[in-house]
Formats: sequence, structure tokens, C-alpha cells
Amino acid sequence: MNEDALHARLAAAVPGVGVLDSSVKDPFVVVEPGALVAALTFLRDDPACGMEMLHNVTAVERPEAMEVVYHVCSLSQHHSLTVKVRMPRPEGGTHDTWIPEVPSVAGVYASADWHEREQWDLLGVRFTGHPDLRRILLPPEWKGHPLRKDYVYPGEHGGIPLELDAVPLYERGSDEPPPEPHPPRPPGTPLVQPPAPFSSRPVAAGGRTAEPGAGGGEPH
Amino acid sequence: MEALELYTVDERDDLYTEELKLNLGPQHPSTHGVLRVELKMDGEIITASRCDIGYLHRCAEKIGENVSYLQFTPYTDRMDYLAACNNELAWSLAVEKLLGVEAPERAQWLRVIVCELNRIASHLIAFGTYGIDMGANTPFFYAFREREAVMALLERPSGARMLYNYVRPGGVAHDIDESWLSDVLAFCGEFEKRWAEYNQLLTTNRIFIGRTANVGVLPRDMALAWGCTGPVLRGSGVKWDLRRDVPYLWPYDEIEFDVPVGEGTHGTLGDCWDRYWVRMREMMESIRIIRQACARVPSGDFMDKAMVRMYKSPLKPGKGEVYMRCENPRGELGFYIVSDGGTSPLRCRARGPSFCNLSVLDALLPGCMIADGVAVIGSLDIVLGEVDR
Repeated sequence: MNEDALHARLAAAVPGVGVLDSSVKDPFVVVEPGALVAALTFLRDDPACGMEMLHNVTAVERPEAMEVVYHVCSLSQHHSLTVKVRMPRPEGGTHDTWIPEVPSVAGVYASADWHEREQWDLLGVRFTGHPDLRRILLPPEWKGHPLRKDYVYPGEHGGIPLELDAVPLYERGSDEPPPEPHPPRPPGTPLVQPPAPFSSRPVAAGGRTAEPGAGGGEPH
Repeated sequence: MEALELYTVDERDDLYTEELKLNLGPQHPSTHGVLRVELKMDGEIITASRCDIGYLHRCAEKIGENVSYLQFTPYTDRMDYLAACNNELAWSLAVEKLLGVEAPERAQWLRVIVCELNRIASHLIAFGTYGIDMGANTPFFYAFREREAVMALLERPSGARMLYNYVRPGGVAHDIDESWLSDVLAFCGEFEKRWAEYNQLLTTNRIFIGRTANVGVLPRDMALAWGCTGPVLRGSGVKWDLRRDVPYLWPYDEIEFDVPVGEGTHGTLGDCWDRYWVRMREMMESIRIIRQACARVPSGDFMDKAMVRMYKSPLKPGKGEVYMRCENPRGELGFYIVSDGGTSPLRCRARGPSFCNLSVLDALLPGCMIADGVAVIGSLDIVLGEVDR
């Protein structure tokens, strides 16, 4: 089934499923947070959908909202679908004050367990009902959620100074000329001298050769 | 029955041992990197396990949001550092999908060859280190001999031995030299003979089979629920390979190859030996793919001409989002890129196969002996650089 058919089937069965947004390369469905568990359970259990695997869980912080993205796929039916939950940003919500909450789907797909822990760790999305929502990549005493756009690098952690500048690694003013492009290497010129073919590679003098009986001196 | 009654309940109470908490890792050779597993032990039996990861976290996704699309390519090498070409390919395809660019035909076939060579090198490490995990040190040296040959081959077009930065959005970075394809074919012929030696050394070794068969059985439904992919999923009998089922590079559609799956040859379907044997057979399938691809590399551009012009300034794809999945040696690597129209992504998410394959470990270990736990970790073939990113 293509995304349109999958969406039609899902929307008919589960209330709270929004329209299919086909404006991007991979169309997605936006689902109400309250309908998320029902929607993913339907996608998994419905034989025509047959989404056996939750491939990926991600959160995306946008200026206006936090999106949690679920990529589900079916191995038997050869199709996949992107499901999103969108939580609008409250007035003046920063990474300190605004922790969006989404129901956990770890009970539907076991693979969501670690993915949700990672999104909590790095983006500060609380998955309610998660069996064990701890930090996964950062140390347990870490403060803040580094993938938030307004996150400020700490000056130190556990007494160790962290010398990270907050300047973006790649920035060029609009008045600066673009850098000279690297000329592509002409076809056929090797970057390094090609070594001898694999089967007849010489071995250090005095040692054994790759092919027994092909010469070589006495070992010391 | 008579003998058993000698042990009365009171005497057994004296034999009771306290539950032991054991830290496996983070600096332990069997964990293949810096992975710590907290184990609760009842004697030699594992009763509960809890993975602790993040020791190698290098903020790859945060870096991705701060560098340009092209600059992030070498960072992807450093995720799964044993299969750098495959990571670059996934990233390049995701960026190409976002830009609506397609690499020229010559680049497509070269990508297939370098990725399959890299797959062989990666599986050779899995094979060698798994032998070491099981107490067989010799296969490791044989595996590294052949891996050395693969690295020498990949060094010639890319200039690097491990982290190639060769596959880039729009094509490949450099053209190959004239004798490269024939040397690759020479390697293929040589490798087939060596592969038979590996099987004599390890695959059919009775002790090795005894250590891995019926150990760490991962049933099909469990593998799917935990998001396992790659040889771990195929070891459980699921015939699913993105190269065959969702050909992300069209040459895979025109190449004949099989998808090896576990069959429970020496024990239960989905045990450690099945996963190991899937990897071994995949090496031979890669050789088949390389042979067919070498015969079909056309002449022409190795980099898209429009892309070369685009490289004069940082890439600026329009608003959009793509999710690109590729079959890496360890499973499916997914890149999810959200672009807001700037020169770097708004969100750059890497879904690593090792991360999902490792997450099943806590469910697999309880009930195993501690020595079998090492066999299970090794059979998942994780790279901590990708688990932690």
C-alpha cells in the first residue's frame, strides 16, 4: 500500500488522526498525542498494514512546536509510514521551562524503549508511561538536554572544564566570496601508487613470501 | 531419587549464595569497545542485565546541526568506523534525495563495489573477534590478513585506510585507477579460497559449535519487536535485506545475489551460530555482487556535474525532510534529515543498527551462563562508535 491508502485505513479506524501531509519527500501523518498509542497499535495489529517494526523514533524541535516522529515499516507488505505527534510551544517556552509530554509506545513496540530514552536524554521530551525513563547517552547527573536549540554548553562538568565555544562551526557572511572549489582529480590519475596485486604482494626481505617457494632469503 | 534425598532442606540453606552484582566492562575485550553491562548473577547464571552505554558519545547529531551537509560526511565515517563507506553512502543518498540529485551511472557502480568490499572487511572483523571471544585466537590473524588486502584496495581511490570520505553527495570523491578493477577481481578469486579456510578453522569446529549453538536464541517476533536488523534479524530466519527488498541503489536491482538466513543448522533457529553463519555467507554474496559489478562499471563521470557546481558554496537544499535507510553490514542505518532551508540541517538524526541490535541484549541475557553472555554480545556484532554516536 502507498501512504495514501495506509492513511485512509488508519484514519477510518482510529479517531484523532490528521490529514496526510504530502508536501515533503516522505509524506507523514500527524496524530493527536492522545491517539498515538491507538494508532501505532492499529498499524501493528491490522493485517493489511502489518507494521512489524518501529524503525526509528526522533524528536525535532522547531520554533513553533516540538515534533516526535515515528518511522514504522512492514517487512511482509513492503511499505512504511511516518507518524508525527506535534506539541505546540507555549509562550516563552525554553529548554528549562518546557518539557513536552508524549505517551510512550514502549508497550506497543519494544524498540521504542531505548529510542525514547535517547530522545528524553538529548531533547527533553518526556514519554509518559515509559517503564524506565533514564538518561541513556549522557551521565545521569547531566543538566539540560543538549539537542535543544537554546541549550548552552556548560562551562564545566564534575570539576572538568569544557572548552567549547558557542560559535557555529560553519558560518560565512553574505558579503564574503565563496571559497575556491577543490579541482576534481582528472580521471585515471591514481592518488597513491598502486601496490602490487594482492596475490603476489612481496613480504619484507628475509621473511616468508605470500606464496611458498617463490623465493625469499633465509630467516634469521 | 535416593541420592537426592541426602540433601535436606536445611543443608541446602547452607549452600545458598548471595546474589552477586557484576560489572562487565566498560574496559573488557569481550564488550567490543566501551560497553558496560551490569549483571545480577546467581552463581554462574545471569538473572538480570542492564546495559550502560554512552561512553563514546561524541554528539554526532549536534555536530550535524552545526556543519554543512558536505562537512558532515566524514563524521558519518566515525559512527560505524568498521564500515565507513556504507555510512557515507546512507548520508549521501539522504542528501541527494533531499536535493533531488542522482549520482551518475559510473559512481553508482563504484559505490556498490566499495560498499561491498567494506562489508567484507567489516564481517571479517566480526568473524575474527568472535573467534577470540570463544577462545580461538588464530582466526583473528587470518581475518586481518584479508582485511589488510581490502584496506589496501580501498586506499587506492580514497587515500585513506579506514575512514574513507569517498562516497559523497553526488557521486564518489575520486575516480579509480586503471588496474583497480582487475585487482579487485584478483582479490575476489583469492578470497574464495581463504573463505574455505575460515570454515575449516572456526565454522565447523566442534568446540565453537558447542559454544554458540542453542545459545542466545532470538525468536523472529522478538527480533522484529526490538527493531533488530541486518544479520541479527536474518539469523532469526527473516528474509529481509534492503538491498533486495528496497534497492536504494538501482544497481542492486540488476545484480543476482541471495539473502542468507539462519536455518537452525546446529541448534535452534536464531541462535548465535546462525547469526555467525549468516555473516560468513554474506561475505560470499558480497564477492558475487562485486564480480558482477566490476563487469558493468561504465565509463563516464564519477561525480554529478550539477553537484560539482553546487559545491562551490555550501549546499542549500530547500525546506523538507527525508528518511533514508541503507543496509549496512550491521543492519539498517537510517538518516532522518530535516531542512529548514539553511546551509546545515535543522535536525540530523542517525538511527544506528548497532543501537537497536544492542537494545535486545537485556532481554536475551537472563538465564544465560556468564560465558554464554560473552557469546551473545559477540554474536550481535556491535560497534560502540555507532551505538553512542
